[in-house]
Amino acid sequence: MFFHIVLERNMQLHPRYFGRNLRDNLVSKLMKDVEGTCSGRHGFVVAVTGIEHIGKGLIRDGTGFVTFPIKYQCVVFRPFKGEILEAFVTMVNKMGFFAEAGPVQIFVSNHLIPDDMEFQSGDMPNYTTSDGSVKIQKDSEVRLKIIGTRVDATEIFCIGTIKDDFLGVINDPTTA
Amino acid sequence: MSLVTDSPVHSSSSDDFAAYLDSALDASSSDASSEEEEEEEQTENQDEDFKSMRAKRCKVESIEEIQGSTSNGLIEHNIEASVNVDVCTHPGSFGNMCIRCGERLDVESGVTFGYIHKGLRLNNDEITRLRNTDMKNLLRHKKLYLILDLDHTLLNSTQLIDLAPEEVHLITQADSLEDISKGNLFKLEYMRMMTKLRPFVRAFLKEASEMFEMYIYTMGDRAYALEMSKLLDPQREYFNAKVISRDDGTQKHQKGLDVVLGLESAVLILDDTENAWMKHKDNLILMERYHFFASSCRQFGYNCKSLAELKSDENESDGALGTILKVLKQVHHTFFYELQDDLVDRDVRQVLKTIRSEVLKGCVLVFSRVVRTTLQALWKMAEQMGATCLTEVDPSVTHVVATDVGTEKARWAVKEKKHLVHPRWIEATNYFWQKQPEDNFTVRKKQ
Repeated sequence: MFFHIVLERNMQLHPRYFGRNLRDNLVSKLMKDVEGTCSGRHGFVVAVTGIEHIGKGLIRDGTGFVTFPIKYQCVVFRPFKGEILEAFVTMVNKMGFFAEAGPVQIFVSNHLIPDDMEFQSGDMPNYTTSDGSVKIQKDSEVRLKIIGTRVDATEIFCIGTIKDDFLGVINDPTTA
Repeated sequence: MSLVTDSPVHSSSSDDFAAYLDSALDASSSDASSEEEEEEEQTENQDEDFKSMRAKRCKVESIEEIQGSTSNGLIEHNIEASVNVDVCTHPGSFGNMCIRCGERLDVESGVTFGYIHKGLRLNNDEITRLRNTDMKNLLRHKKLYLILDLDHTLLNSTQLIDLAPEEVHLITQADSLEDISKGNLFKLEYMRMMTKLRPFVRAFLKEASEMFEMYIYTMGDRAYALEMSKLLDPQREYFNAKVISRDDGTQKHQKGLDVVLGLESAVLILDDTENAWMKHKDNLILMERYHFFASSCRQFGYNCKSLAELKSDENESDGALGTILKVLKQVHHTFFYELQDDLVDRDVRQVLKTIRSEVLKGCVLVFSRVVRTTLQALWKMAEQMGATCLTEVDPSVTHVVATDVGTEKARWAVKEKKHLVHPRWIEATNYFWQKQPEDNFTVRKKQ
């Protein structure tokens, strides 16, 4: 799920960046630092959308670096247990398949793939129903349900299932 | 049971609802049971959520009541439901979560499969299950597994700084990295390396991929292994997530089949180092080492010129890979078309052994002046290839293996017109799986 929230961060800036562009420098450094990172609490920071407030700088003893407290708005993404997500399949193997939704890595094991879908090996491994009407392979788009999540400092891992009503392939690259 | 009053099913004790449920249950009892299962599954998923679980149990209970079963059945059902809650055996984990129920697992167990995806682990039972299902699938496609080593088997690499003076010209001759499938000599600038693919390797991989599901298994590190797999397989059609490096093995300085998702009875291994496969020697086809660069010769203590220094190379079609491909074809053919017993019971190790024992069939060898340490290895090698080894000469002897023409046995061989060959004859025969012409391995007089 996406959230638009306000976060805070203390930014350290080298004195050479001081001058009339101080604010721009701070903001671009903030974007470089936080966009694409993860936190267990908020999930993945997708983009900084605005600055709420930049506090007074504080010179750090001995170094000359200055610390600015910044409040900023950003869009974060965090998956939840029970959430339905749409994801791209990145790898298919005999254990199941891996999919990606943005920064989120999702694994769907073959226990959680409907029993009528069978693994087919070859140079394009896939899971196919016995009548061949549905096929999951690399680059397929699937709708899945999250049944477990773990958010690390840099990565988000999820376990997903497609063994439920209205889940499974939503877009097949071969027919598109 | 304070929740009972909240339960929507229970509150409707009115007759019409009971009748409706009754009829619905009768009409499609299978549907109903699957619904119940689903309910239980959901319960499983939300195991911490005690509230909902209890509410659901009440629901199950009330359905039972409506169906009019005995209190015994009711208890049984309850037990079943609660067993189902903790029934997940956690067959494996991904990022420390069970791959089946999504529950957080604190204890790390099972084997890591980092080469497939970061953070993936599988338990032994699950590995066995996957191997067995995969085996059926594979046999249906008439395929076996083939594990390939990289260095000295499929290619030869060297650090740029280790290039011998006569080899430096190769840097300018390296093929472009833009069209990998056409070249065979590459300079990898950022790894500071040069890599030469063994002649015939592309045709070899293409033909082998029709008979085998192929893995790469190297003692190099992960980055190197992936880079090499890109050179060998630029279209990524052979080794999709099947590149195993030393970082993925379970034992130091050893290669093992425990991280390969294939039954041992269907795996063939191609490697130049026998000692890396202590536990799986029966699966191994030993390769003659490919030394293209001088640094690689030095590494193994050879003083001879490298192929690059001599500006030569192995032969395309009857070099080492071409020869081994023929052996692989023979093994594959024997496994699928010549054995009589049930497909599942067949063992590729047995097939390999039989084929090997045909190579020197009918030869009777006697060794003369061979150093004791190498003698043992040669003796074993010759016997595996079906030869008979004797300690003393007798009329049945066909070959005398000696390092010197002056020994008594060697002189006897010349007098009796038997083959007098150098020990290298056995080694070459072992690599080529074919009796080598004895004339190429004559023993020279020592100076």
